[in-house]
Amino acid sequence: MTLSNVDLTNCEREPIHILGSIQSYGYLLAILPDTYTIVHASDNMADLLDISADQLLGQSLGSILAKTDLSVNALVELLNVGRRSGSWDSMNPHQFVINEKAWNLIIHQHNGLIILEWEPIGDHNPLRNQQLIAQALTEVQASRTLADLLQNTAQRVKKIIGFDRVMVYRFESDWHGHVIAEAKEPHLEPYLGLHYPASDIPRQARELYKVNLVRLIADATSTPSRILSQPGWPEDHPLDLTHSVLRAVSPIHIEYLKNMGVQASMSISLLYRGELWGLISCHNTVPRFVDYPARQAAKFVSQLLSTALEFRKDEEDQSNLLLYRQHGQYIHEQLLIDENVVQALTKRSHTILDLTKATGAALLFNNHIYRLGKTPSEVDIRALADWLKASDTETFLETSQLAALYPPSEEFRDIGAGLLAIVLSKELNEYVFWFKSEQIQQVTWAGNPDKPLTVGENGQGRISPRKSFEAWTQTVRNTSEPWSEAEVSTVIKLREDVLQVITKQANEIRVLNQRLQLAYDELDAFSYTVSHDLRTPLSSIRCYSEILLEEYGQDFPPDAHVLFQKVIDSTERMRALIRHILYYSRMGRTELNTEPIDMRHLLEGIREEILVTAKDRSLTIDIGDTPPITADETMAIQLFTNLLSNSAKYTRLSPEAIIHVTGKQTDGEVIYSVEDNGIGFDMKQAGKMFDLFKRLENARSFEGSGVGLAIVKRIINRHQGKIWYHSEPNRGTTFYVSLPIATTS
Amino acid sequence: MADVLYIEDDANDADIFSRLMQKLQRPITYTILSSGAEAVDYLTGQGQYQKQITPLPKLLLLDLNLVGLSGIEVVQRARILDRTRFLPIIAFSTSDNPSDIRSAYEAGINAYVVKPGTYQATGKLLSRLYDFWLENNTRIDNK
Repeated sequence: MTLSNVDLTNCEREPIHILGSIQSYGYLLAILPDTYTIVHASDNMADLLDISADQLLGQSLGSILAKTDLSVNALVELLNVGRRSGSWDSMNPHQFVINEKAWNLIIHQHNGLIILEWEPIGDHNPLRNQQLIAQALTEVQASRTLADLLQNTAQRVKKIIGFDRVMVYRFESDWHGHVIAEAKEPHLEPYLGLHYPASDIPRQARELYKVNLVRLIADATSTPSRILSQPGWPEDHPLDLTHSVLRAVSPIHIEYLKNMGVQASMSISLLYRGELWGLISCHNTVPRFVDYPARQAAKFVSQLLSTALEFRKDEEDQSNLLLYRQHGQYIHEQLLIDENVVQALTKRSHTILDLTKATGAALLFNNHIYRLGKTPSEVDIRALADWLKASDTETFLETSQLAALYPPSEEFRDIGAGLLAIVLSKELNEYVFWFKSEQIQQVTWAGNPDKPLTVGENGQGRISPRKSFEAWTQTVRNTSEPWSEAEVSTVIKLREDVLQVITKQANEIRVLNQRLQLAYDELDAFSYTVSHDLRTPLSSIRCYSEILLEEYGQDFPPDAHVLFQKVIDSTERMRALIRHILYYSRMGRTELNTEPIDMRHLLEGIREEILVTAKDRSLTIDIGDTPPITADETMAIQLFTNLLSNSAKYTRLSPEAIIHVTGKQTDGEVIYSVEDNGIGFDMKQAGKMFDLFKRLENARSFEGSGVGLAIVKRIINRHQGKIWYHSEPNRGTTFYVSLPIATTS
Repeated sequence: MADVLYIEDDANDADIFSRLMQKLQRPITYTILSSGAEAVDYLTGQGQYQKQITPLPKLLLLDLNLVGLSGIEVVQRARILDRTRFLPIIAFSTSDNPSDIRSAYEAGINAYVVKPGTYQATGKLLSRLYDFWLENNTRIDNK
């Protein structure tokens, strides 16, 4: 066998409850409950009864034992009582004297057989055990820290059983073990704080620990005694030693103990809610027998500890939950006060980092990342969010092995091996993340992982349990401490709180929208009134002025003519203003019907119109390149009409007015420029140029309402475009307009 | 029967129209009605026009913004009846709001003209309208 194909699971496959032998310090008989006929006997029975196991098999208990000085009647009587009551525990151990030596008899019934086991009576003092138990009880009742309680329990158990070393060993969720308390002889190397791989205590051994709470290996070096069966007893019915106190030890476990320099061991199970959460593991460097009452006393102490732990652990869970809830409550209050998710979650005295045991947390909100504690980089978090978005996670994700789900996270496993995440909005890519670091960093290894495999005398390589750390390292790579229920429930609650605030804000916006809609409707009505009710009397003023001039003008003095002309001009200006205001309000909200526009056609149309009104002066409108734009046609006409007629207006004083319009296409946008040689303006003044009704100082003598460029700006905004300009007084102005190239939808 | 029927509830506009008609010096007869309801009665021979069997005008000039029955409603009623289904109707309105223009066409007008707002321009406009609708246009005249 080579090192590479060592079978790590050989421990898992060993049928340790039917090994077919017992430890040689005791003796075993199995009898049928009805007839008390012996069907199994340990090979060493001759040492106890002077009758060989062979002779015992198939015989009735009474007839055999009659030949010894064991009191047959007393034993049969005991069995009868036990059978009638259906309970054996209360009578264990029963002291018997055989061949002038006292033995403890321990009886149990299992799988259709009554099993009798004799073991030596130790040198213990029952009174002392009772005192120790009483002390243990007092201690459990006293309110101490969990660490103290465990440490003192280890001391107490050590006192009861007298071993060199007693450790409290706790299983983690992946079943690897961790020494959390230890009582030992001073000369021994401390094991406290060490971690052991899960394979050290294989699954079926853990199952047995749940059934058999106390387990003694008195002498790992002794040769076990085989169990013989009645001739003809079916071969597929080996004696089930699940509840046996003498059950022999698996060779693998013996080797494990030898590796540790241990010759006697005892373990006592610690259960939490029916599940194995730990062991009290006891080692002795030389063989040592612990008699039944002392084992029972140790078991009792450990049961006390288990019970205390259930309460303490519940309390601990409860207090963690309370703590997280309390923080959750603070954050909820912050949310209600701030109504600002980022602020409430990351910037106040309580943050999302307080909600779990995570070492880092991050909020991705409004496309910004806010990090607290130890977290992956922004780039890594964004990639993680992308992955989460593509996953089927709808509310939350909880994992202590992120890399198994999302391999790229291995890059930052030291700070993010475990992830707890809540989804605020998949559409908006908004999440909260909590990170836990890789557990392996916190582990102190028991044994040297670099030690080579031991090769047995027969040349067979067998993995030695204490040397399988490397395998363990492989299995816990990329693994964090798991997320507790309290942590998960707290962040789910947070999610609800945040969503509630977001929904509330959305509702407020909806109400605002409704009000805005209402305001728009009113504005609509207003616009209509302006357009009709104001324009109608204005037309009357205009028309009657014209009629007066036409029909009675010949009787007017020249001054009256001038005055009438002023009335007519004023109505004209007012008409233009009303028209512009209407356009401006319409541009804000009429639907956009964007389409590709033939710009040459559009610009030539506008040029024609402008030239008609400017026919009494020298005006050239030069049209250069005309790449198409994608826009609402009506608005585009409005936009370029306003720009060109502005240019035309402000070149009125130039003897040769020249306007040059040209476009060019760049990456993602089309830019048009309208250049003139007009009066220009001071760039310092131009800040408010696009504001409604704002006009520049040097434009005072030119007619205008101050609405035209505001309309232009609005149209540009509606199309997600940009407008800018360059100008110098008396040297003309260039306006630039850029519109994005529409992506084909 | 008049050549032109003009529905206008603004007295000034009606007055200016009359002055322009006289100024045109063309042999065109016209009638001005000041409400939509009256216009419908006139066209259908109901109400105060019950006893009169009047031939239809050659052209209906219709202001849209009328008190009571609106211009749009007048068009809709006219288009339902066999007698007035093909009557040339021109919307004559102050509004250049695209939605007004659209709904007028949807109701079934033949043309939409925005009131120019000046005396001279209105005169020129009417002259051009009459040239086309009274001289060039061929109608289907129901009896």
